[in-house]
Amino acid sequence: MAKRTEVLVSGFGGQGVVRIGQTLSTAAVYQGLNTTMLVSHGTETRGGYVRTQVVMASDIIDSPVVENPDYFVALSKAAYNRFISLVKEGTVIYDPAYVEPDASLPIKQIPLAARDTAVKELGRELYANAVVLGAMARMMTGLVDKENILKAMLERIPRFHEENKKAFELGYALMSKE
Amino acid sequence: MRRTLDTGNAAITEGAIIAGCRLFAGYPITPATEIAENMSRRLPQVGGYYVQAEDEMTALHICIGGSLGGLKTMTATSGPGFILYADPMGWALGSEIPLVVVNAQRVGPVSGITGAPGQGEFYMSRYPTQGGNYETIVLAPNSVQEAFSITVEAFYLAERFRMPVIILADQLVTDGWESLSIPETPEEVEAMGLKVVPRRINKGPEFYPATDEIDIPPVVLGHNTGAACSDWTPTPEGYDTEEVDFQHKHAYRLIYKVRNHKDLITRYESYFVDDNPELILVAYGSPSRVVISAVKQAREKGMKVGALRLISLWPFPDEIFKVQAKYLSVELNYDGQLVREVQRAMPKGSEVHFFGKCGELPTVAELEEMMQALLAGKEIKARKWEWEAW
Repeated sequence: MAKRTEVLVSGFGGQGVVRIGQTLSTAAVYQGLNTTMLVSHGTETRGGYVRTQVVMASDIIDSPVVENPDYFVALSKAAYNRFISLVKEGTVIYDPAYVEPDASLPIKQIPLAARDTAVKELGRELYANAVVLGAMARMMTGLVDKENILKAMLERIPRFHEENKKAFELGYALMSKE
Repeated sequence: MRRTLDTGNAAITEGAIIAGCRLFAGYPITPATEIAENMSRRLPQVGGYYVQAEDEMTALHICIGGSLGGLKTMTATSGPGFILYADPMGWALGSEIPLVVVNAQRVGPVSGITGAPGQGEFYMSRYPTQGGNYETIVLAPNSVQEAFSITVEAFYLAERFRMPVIILADQLVTDGWESLSIPETPEEVEAMGLKVVPRRINKGPEFYPATDEIDIPPVVLGHNTGAACSDWTPTPEGYDTEEVDFQHKHAYRLIYKVRNHKDLITRYESYFVDDNPELILVAYGSPSRVVISAVKQAREKGMKVGALRLISLWPFPDEIFKVQAKYLSVELNYDGQLVREVQRAMPKGSEVHFFGKCGELPTVAELEEMMQALLAGKEIKARKWEWEAW
């Protein structure tokens, strides 16, 4: 991978946005890539705005700022509205439980029912971020190996491994249908 | 070599441990709290001590005491705590006590925004205490890996110059996550170019030579060395005096031990400045990352621009501003602290402009717009503090 890949994930506090960023960045390290991850958030522990900007590349990464995301994961309406203008050629992955996409935009927008899948299949919304990570593993095939993302996820989310693994596979399967 | 993904705060902690730091005293403050947390975990593992102080002033006084007791010491804070170091910082500078001070700059003034980056203590790091008559050593990392290596270097310089060394980081460096390689053996430490000076002990009776000499061991109390150590103007033996003649010698030493060995301190990176570019961007810390990206991209588009990235901030590297050009200082503040120093150092016929942003990094796109406007000699509409010709 010579190219620089930019991932922007945003939602509200408690959804696991930071864990998603940490997992993708950690997986990049396992993949032998350089990576940066910036986190910004409001002062609230839960419910406030959270954004993580992940950059990965085989070259040295100068600017850590995500300006042209290859993947934008929108997990709240506010996040979608705030950052959608950044996406020019990349893909938007949104949770339809929170986001109603602007269909007029000439970009690829994929719904990912992360919250509903987590609730329906595992009984808890808590696993929605693992669903997202599984979906991202499918999306990023060829850039970062699925095994590396799974390994990184289990390292970064130390609890409920069986449930998180199941959620991860569900997300991977959901995206495979796209 | 351990390869991991971690924050600048973790990198600073590991750098300090490798450099031999065995006492950390601090008061928690975002975005430097993690350094205290990590130190409280790591120091007991290596036979060191962690002390949470009741405030920042005490924290630095404890570090001074630890250093005078023979330990390498460090403290870490953000702007609102850095100002409280002013009193003990004078002690450390005047009494030539080696230690390392980390400032993870956030948005100010006052408490500002806790979790967002700023660069407001550039000048305060030059004059962090009262009275004048001293020079400071200040280093500014722009990545997690460099936060690690600069921490090792800060201890190295502190021991050799016998004084506090300041690491002026910012929130994006301390809180940002990045791939980090940590050496695990002495060979790996050496292969990374990291140097460690063990703590030496001043055998006295002289406290200081009235010269610019470096590598004078620091005073360690309780070793029958005979050298006294006080914050008053000292005689060469370290006794208090009110003789102006001794004050001259002491001041000369504090200023020129640094200035006359500037070559051991000055570090910078330059990009595309050898072919006399019309425009040179200047930055330190996190914004320099975006500057480097922007300048590389602009060169690919045929724009004649270059960049200087300052790694050592004080003593100010006047000598690296060789090219007569338009300079653009890119900073995480609105008052343009670096601007005046660039203006002072740049060759005649140059001009300096300012692009300031606070709380978040500029983007490559924004910098490109600025570069195009400056190269075309055009005014562009922007808020006053973002765009100003000086």
